[in-house]
Amino acid sequence: MKKIITTAAAVALLASASAFAAAYPDRPVKVIVPWAAGGDTDNIFRPFAPALQNHLGQTVVIANVGGASGTKGAKEAKDAPPDGYTLYVPHEYIHSTYYTGVADVQYSDFEPICMIASTPSVLTASPKTPWKDAKELIADAKARPGQITVGATLASTSHFFPALIEKAAGIKFKYVSYEGLAPRMNAILGGHTDLTDSNLTQKGKVDAGQLKFLAIATEKRHPEMPTVPTLKELGINVVYDVNRGLMAPKGTPDAVLAKLESSCAQAVKEPAFAAAMKLQGTAVRYLDRKAYAAWLKQTDDENRNISKDLGLLKR
Amino acid sequence: MYELLLSGIANILQVQYLLPLLLGTFIGVIGGALPGVTIAMTVIVVLPFTFGLDPLQGLAAMTGVYVGGSAGGLITACLLGIPGTPSAIATTFDGFPMARKGEPGRAMWLGIWSSFFGGMLGGVFLIAATGPLAAIALEFGPWEFFALFVFALSMVAGLTGSSITKGLLSGALGLVVTIMGNDPVMGAPRLSLGIGFLEGGINFLPVLIGVFAFAQIMSDIEKMGPARPGQAAGPVPTLTVSHLKVIGEIIARPFLLLWTSFIGVLIGVLPAIGGSAASMLAYDQAKKFSRQPERFGTGAPEGIIASESSNNANVGGSLVTIMAFGIPGDIVTAVMLGAMTIHGIQSGPLFISQQPKLAYGIFAAYIVAHFLMVVIIALSARYMLRLTTVPKSVLIPIVLVLCVVGAYALNNTMANVYVLLVFGIIGYALVKFGFPLAPLILGVILGDQIEINLIRSIMTDSDPWLFLTRPISGGLIALSVASVIFALWQHRRYRKRSPQSDDDHADF
Amino acid sequence: MGRDGIAGLVCLATSLGLFAATIGLPEASLLVPIGPGFYPRIVLGITVLLSAILIVTDFAGRARRPAITAGVPANYRLVLITFSIIGIYIALLPSLGFRIATFAFVSVLQVALEPPRNRNNWLRVLIVAVVTTLITYLVFERYLSVLLPRGRWTDF
Repeated sequence: MKKIITTAAAVALLASASAFAAAYPDRPVKVIVPWAAGGDTDNIFRPFAPALQNHLGQTVVIANVGGASGTKGAKEAKDAPPDGYTLYVPHEYIHSTYYTGVADVQYSDFEPICMIASTPSVLTASPKTPWKDAKELIADAKARPGQITVGATLASTSHFFPALIEKAAGIKFKYVSYEGLAPRMNAILGGHTDLTDSNLTQKGKVDAGQLKFLAIATEKRHPEMPTVPTLKELGINVVYDVNRGLMAPKGTPDAVLAKLESSCAQAVKEPAFAAAMKLQGTAVRYLDRKAYAAWLKQTDDENRNISKDLGLLKR
Repeated sequence: MYELLLSGIANILQVQYLLPLLLGTFIGVIGGALPGVTIAMTVIVVLPFTFGLDPLQGLAAMTGVYVGGSAGGLITACLLGIPGTPSAIATTFDGFPMARKGEPGRAMWLGIWSSFFGGMLGGVFLIAATGPLAAIALEFGPWEFFALFVFALSMVAGLTGSSITKGLLSGALGLVVTIMGNDPVMGAPRLSLGIGFLEGGINFLPVLIGVFAFAQIMSDIEKMGPARPGQAAGPVPTLTVSHLKVIGEIIARPFLLLWTSFIGVLIGVLPAIGGSAASMLAYDQAKKFSRQPERFGTGAPEGIIASESSNNANVGGSLVTIMAFGIPGDIVTAVMLGAMTIHGIQSGPLFISQQPKLAYGIFAAYIVAHFLMVVIIALSARYMLRLTTVPKSVLIPIVLVLCVVGAYALNNTMANVYVLLVFGIIGYALVKFGFPLAPLILGVILGDQIEINLIRSIMTDSDPWLFLTRPISGGLIALSVASVIFALWQHRRYRKRSPQSDDDHADF
Repeated sequence: MGRDGIAGLVCLATSLGLFAATIGLPEASLLVPIGPGFYPRIVLGITVLLSAILIVTDFAGRARRPAITAGVPANYRLVLITFSIIGIYIALLPSLGFRIATFAFVSVLQVALEPPRNRNNWLRVLIVAVVTTLITYLVFERYLSVLLPRGRWTDF
């Protein structure tokens, strides 16, 4: 009896395996966003999901698995079966959390599929702070080192970006753990922290006088916000953006990756997606599998160096 | 604001939202009417259905359950003398005598229209107060949030159950659940006992479902005999009544209606005291203010009005705290909070300004649900009574299956189902040992927030005295201490009066 | 020892055990002034204290407390059976798959809670089990895109 069941199970398994190889995808695809919905990554991938869905021919479901600086979702994605039905959305945090010892998961636990978007960072201050521009901030920071508070997800991009400014300008901040953009905004609107890393999505609040953009970390001034100076203009050589892409667990079949890559390439071209990204203060930046893999390698090295420079390197 | 509200109502009246709201209200009325099935249980059963819906659809359905359930309890309370939910206990005092005197229609409709008016008054408060309270909450720094959450927990631990030590211990055990898993700042593995899935921490929804649903179900099973026939419902009496006259009876007592609704709202705003306390307190107040208190208990309309207006107004109050501060007032709002987290929506000070469509959608759903509730009860009250004869042996397996599905569907892993079972056993054991469950659940929900705000405070400024010297934070901590002292004093007085104080019922 | 004393001892033992487990945790770092063990120790300290109070008051109050009068005898056997059935259901769910396991669970639990006495009762048990399984499966899998477990043994 037991033998029959095992055989039947084996046959059924084989049958399902071959059926799946023949026509990926034949059921909904889950995309793990390792942060809460309403955050930047979520806001970028919510409009991307229907675009991808159009070209993949299957429902694409966003699953927000937040917690522990985004490493909970990364772990879950890493442990998911490599069948192309569970995908994962990283940004630079995957490198920084690995090198600072927060997470055990690293970028090489996944197969890159494509990069889709790039968001420049903006140094943002609470309306309750006295500074009118970044120059005043830096002067103030020099006067009282280690007293200006920065809300950040520790060891992630919102921590590394201000840390690079610290280094370039020779100042010292005090970091307070606020994971995710929503709690960070909460704290900065109420004046409970002085500074934070944000992006052009917060433009509405700046126009309403609830926030102050001090400087943007792009090469040239951004057309959406031409009054905001770049850090480079201010003599602080920091260019920083957050780049998001799509990955699959290591071991995902090549055919599945190719299918995802081609769907992704078409999805980023959809005008609806481009329009949504414009609202997000984000540029559509497509890199294919190969280019994305090379970019990841290079970024990984950079993050290792930054962690080392900041004295946070644990590996 | 009113434009937003009107557009919210227009939005909710679309079929895609109206349908879940209608279904939710309907299921709420049924769940409310079924003795032994509480509103909390109903909303737990509805929860997994909302995972696949868009956030407003899911929250509309839950709001419907909440409103419908708070009213549904009065059907069985008035007509059978059995409260359908704990919050309808006070309704039986006068509703059932009035029904037996030959006025079942008047009793029931007094209850329904009181629920309606009480709920609407609660709604006025909800819509008017959420915004300003959220603005106050925005001024709260980590110290204030820490103090606020500690206050919420201390109040619940002090005010529920017969033993203050057990109440506090129950709340502290809830906090223990949240310290397991990676630490919230740097993700260092902590107390995961070598169990892989504990590393990510324990999700509060399976804990809540397990602790609450299992304790309730097992307490029911204890009372089941090997063979006990389901109770037979008597013939359904005629329920026709002049609605104008009934409404007139309520409107003629504006002070009573306003005061008892106010009590309902107030109890709703305070965390985890719940609808049953609101209706009992309101009933007591109505009796105290009455010129003929001796009429209470014999079918006085004031008794029904007080109980039912307050328990629906209570719903409005609970929704305020969850929307402005992110603190659930009871199990139902705790489940709603869970549903929001699943959809990744942050409740709290910025909720109303960042998600105005959703916030006003909930307001609108709350208002519309009251109209739906009246229509649903008018059409189906007689059939509801038949439903009360569905045997427990059928109901219990179905509820358990939905609990399992709910836990599984959280993120499609069996891990949460195991958590459900483990906490089901723990919850039942706690009830058997006389621990109140409400503090435990609130502890599990607030634990993470208490910790992270404590850490944020210290990271912002290393001076620990700030918790006491910042006015709001210091005030809230003083209130926490006061609430524990008050509970001790009250408990002592209570014990002097009645030396025996053993009660075993699951209470939330 | 009374009911409270036992409960207090269990909580005390658990808290102390967990407290011991916090000892190896990393200490405060440059970035975070308090280590991951700081808050857990406070919480566990509170549970230790409260458990101790519970135990002490239980001993102190024993003389005064009247014997607990038993009301309707609770049917603990049925509670135990129910827990066992749920445990088996949950254990077998990933192997049998949602549909088979749920059908079996709903049938068995109904029979355990109220043994059928005639053919109609049996029929009702089966109908409830089939309808519950089918409706939950269809609604969740088809309309709500919640994927329920498939059986490892059955692939169904």
